[in-house]
Amino acid sequence: MSQPHVQRTFLTSDYTMASRLRGRPAHAPGPTYCSYSNNGSKLVTVGSNSLLRVFPHNSDDEPPVIDVWTDNHFAVAAANDFFLVGSEDGSVTKYSLLTNSLEEILIRCTLPIRDIALSPDSQWAAVASDEIEVKVVSTKDMTQVFYLREHPRSAKNVSFDVNNSTVAVSCTDGLIYIYSISSEQPQLLKRIDGLIKILENDADASARAIWHPDGRAFAAPTATRDLQVVARADWKLQKAFKGGHRGDITAAAWSPNGALLATAGADKSLVLWETRSQKIIKSFDDIQDVILCLQWHPTDNVLSYTNTNGELFMRAEVVPGEHAKLLKVALQPAPMNGDPLSDVSGNAIRAPPGHGKPGVNGWDGPSENDYVDSLLDDAMSQDGADFIEDDDGAGYAEAPNRNGKRIANSIEGPIAKRPAAYSVWQPRVHEAFQPGSTPWKGNRRYLCLNLTGFVWTVDQETHNTVTVEFYDRQEHRDFHFTDPYLYDKACLNEKGTLFSCPPSAQHPAVIYYRPHESWTSRTDWRINMPAGEKITSISLSDSCIVATTTAGYVRIYSLYGLPLKMYRQKSTPAVTCASWRDYVMTIGNGPVGGDGSTRLLYTIENVKRDETYQSEDILALPDGFELKSVFFSDKGDPCIYDSEGVLLILQHWRTPGQAKWVPLLDTRTLDRLASGKKEESYWPVAVANNKFHCIILKGGEAYPYFPRPLLSDFDFRIPISAPEDDDAELTHGNQLEEQFVRKALEHSLQLDLVENTNATHAQKQEVPVLEREVDKVLLQLLANECREGEERGMKALEIATLMRDRTGKMLEAAGKVAQRFQRDVLAEKILEVAERRLVGIVDDDDV
Amino acid sequence: MALPLPPGLTASEVGFLCEMELVTVIPRQRLEGLELLGGPTQPLNPPFPTPLPLWLALLLKKQKRANINPPAWLSVDGLSHIHDFETDTRTAEVFSPSQALPPPAGVRHGYEDYLSSDVIDFAPPFLANSSTTGAQADALPYHWLEVGHLLLTHAADDFDDPEGVRRLLRDLREVRMSKLRKGFKVLDAGAGVKLNGVGGMEIAEVRGFVGGMVDGLRKINRSREESRREREAEDRENGLGGSSYQDDEDDMQL
Repeated sequence: MSQPHVQRTFLTSDYTMASRLRGRPAHAPGPTYCSYSNNGSKLVTVGSNSLLRVFPHNSDDEPPVIDVWTDNHFAVAAANDFFLVGSEDGSVTKYSLLTNSLEEILIRCTLPIRDIALSPDSQWAAVASDEIEVKVVSTKDMTQVFYLREHPRSAKNVSFDVNNSTVAVSCTDGLIYIYSISSEQPQLLKRIDGLIKILENDADASARAIWHPDGRAFAAPTATRDLQVVARADWKLQKAFKGGHRGDITAAAWSPNGALLATAGADKSLVLWETRSQKIIKSFDDIQDVILCLQWHPTDNVLSYTNTNGELFMRAEVVPGEHAKLLKVALQPAPMNGDPLSDVSGNAIRAPPGHGKPGVNGWDGPSENDYVDSLLDDAMSQDGADFIEDDDGAGYAEAPNRNGKRIANSIEGPIAKRPAAYSVWQPRVHEAFQPGSTPWKGNRRYLCLNLTGFVWTVDQETHNTVTVEFYDRQEHRDFHFTDPYLYDKACLNEKGTLFSCPPSAQHPAVIYYRPHESWTSRTDWRINMPAGEKITSISLSDSCIVATTTAGYVRIYSLYGLPLKMYRQKSTPAVTCASWRDYVMTIGNGPVGGDGSTRLLYTIENVKRDETYQSEDILALPDGFELKSVFFSDKGDPCIYDSEGVLLILQHWRTPGQAKWVPLLDTRTLDRLASGKKEESYWPVAVANNKFHCIILKGGEAYPYFPRPLLSDFDFRIPISAPEDDDAELTHGNQLEEQFVRKALEHSLQLDLVENTNATHAQKQEVPVLEREVDKVLLQLLANECREGEERGMKALEIATLMRDRTGKMLEAAGKVAQRFQRDVLAEKILEVAERRLVGIVDDDDV
Repeated sequence: MALPLPPGLTASEVGFLCEMELVTVIPRQRLEGLELLGGPTQPLNPPFPTPLPLWLALLLKKQKRANINPPAWLSVDGLSHIHDFETDTRTAEVFSPSQALPPPAGVRHGYEDYLSSDVIDFAPPFLANSSTTGAQADALPYHWLEVGHLLLTHAADDFDDPEGVRRLLRDLREVRMSKLRKGFKVLDAGAGVKLNGVGGMEIAEVRGFVGGMVDGLRKINRSREESRREREAEDRENGLGGSSYQDDEDDMQL
């Protein structure tokens, strides 16, 4: 089945021509109806005369005409390669859009056809006639017919929901009947009373339930001339579009992404609504006749409508300028009560380059909520029929046919109607970010903020001014320069400052390095990236420079601009990178996890030794947590800080496969927040001197701003147990336990460092000191246990056996402590352990 | 005996003593640890905040080599909280409590921490954390007036609102001095005033007055006192109990 070529690009001049409002006489004066083909390339109109017209989209040419023998057509529905026409004589005829000729008569009724609805996958057509029953017929095989018979009077309108499984029949008795056709026999799901008006079969007013493209709700015209939204989950009334019309609503249509709604009334009005706020965007006052059928173009900013006078209008640029972007955003949620307002106005449109990253660390995307909502809705829906989301219109969620088999040619897949409209599922990809930078606020932002100093830039319209300030004023001199390149990323350390800028018309992306001191005259250098390659993050260490780019490359340079190596990152798109001496850590988006967002994967390697320590290992972030910052501690261990305020350090990372993320501090459990009065968050800066350095942000701020706030530091506290307890004794014990775990962690980190690198003497000295620290905490824990009572002796003995000291001194001290508390049995046993250790007998479980 | 000074410490002596207090300094340049008589100082390493004795901090501040981070209580929030406590009718009788003593150290093991030469062990009223950033926000330390005055004079630019802090400090001083004076009304030979929470400078201020007054009262009561002593001496000679002599003597001295 060959598809007509879809012409989506067009010249704007076409539009200005078309924007002159000029009705096209399509048919003899009388009720006229229209329908776009799925891809929007053709628009079919039917009217009262015995002609059918097929208007090509975006062309002023005389349309092809199909002569038919019927007249007074009241319904048309077009798919990609065929369309159905229902006429007064009770026949539903199928015409080919490829050849513009009759294919077959799909079904016959005894009374006039009033409405035809095609399922979104074009496999089924629901036909409402003046007969009582509604027929649902397969468009491929006319022998497959369902009958919907639960309603007592004839149907005025029918409509399919986006999942092809539910039909809403608007009956002339003033009720909407919801049928499920996902089973062999259609089932009545719900009668909805009090929504639509009682209408005559041939009334101009419409009672059609229009399903919102997100599938969670439909809207129907009410007797009060409003458009009421009804949730699919519980069939309860939700929000309403009120006060737009002074006459009955004759037609209504959601825009393909559900962000806009167009309604037309019997008072010759046409109104555009914004779905999110249910506010009128525009009310058109140039309507001459009552509009009977409204159709949005699937992709373009075009609304077509036909009226009672046989005319067709193809209204280009129908959504006025400032709202036109609403047509471009992803699928919007239906307006439900209690839904969080998802912001469609600003976030979906990427800020122009050089004007910051609005969601610098967040998931970018306008419809964060509706992913979850729609997933939840599906899981909770009554019949479970829409458990499988038919996300590309390929029809794999369709109802099986009579033989229980899926219809064969669904594999070929008609091009999805409304391509970007419904259920386009996309994994959420973590945005790239530069650790230590903030977004623009006002006209300034920090490019880099760390313990060496800070780099900030001021937007001066045509250029930026960059200022680099140091904490240590004696060692370095602050400097300031005018920046025509509009640098948007920077790194700062003791040796130099690294900048990078996005590409522009004048120059490609550039990396610029400026050392702080040198013994030659000019040592700063620039490197141009290949055309089209953008830099997603940079990092600077004492010995190398790392840049990740949009081409998926990791580029590593020496401090003098010599390219050291370059490779394609395995997990892309890249998120960020960090480096410390020769260690380079890159983080990228990996496979998609259960919550629809990508798992972040990290790789750590040593550039100089050319060893990879961890390859594409998972960055441990639970569902819903986001990476806020990544950096190396002053001892060279990778640390991350997540959006929930937990600081984690990587343990055993120099051995492949052994790495694990250990929490060092949960800032939510800090003592200063215990009162519950303070509302503050912490912006991570560094981990140094066994402390977490951060900037305290008050009042819901997300980023530090000017004047530069003071750095604060917090001691680590591994969240072993609930933070505070009234029982001082218990708290003391908990503190000691926490201290034990923390000291053991410090010891293991230091031991790793010494064993795997050419450690300095001082670093080697540190290991036994830390070992003794662990033992000291154990000794305190032992004393605590002894104080508690005789019955805690077993635990006390276990604590004693955990002592790391091999000289026996610590165990001796432990024995003394036990004696002091007169735990003689315990003291004896400790002595026994000490003796066994001294002679080298090791317990079986102590290996 | 020609020393013209009154007994006790003069204000400048108290001020000198308070310069022993540690304050938190944000260094702007590196400095190795110094071996001083009072113990070694920590090395300065920008931008890490470091506790330094006040005198050294002020010296570095004057040379623009450091910024001083004022303690939490020396802020508009902290001081107004304390001021509210002092002026509240329910607590009008007492001074706001002084800073909490550090929790007693756990079981000592070995002797390395204790009496070692590289540890400055503070003894009350000098608390290790009374004027650093780790200080309590809602309690005044012993040297509050002196530390506040010195910091406001020499490091006003490190405060968020130096004028507000200065005003609150003056208010606090007036409230507390009036409380002290009110307390003296009840002073008698056997009576006392509870001085919990009173700062060093305040004691130095009232010491001359109170000492003189109590001394004067003692002189007035001398004859009665002497007769009592004689009686007691007689009692003692008679072999009856009379051990209260020493206690009485103690009571009389402030």
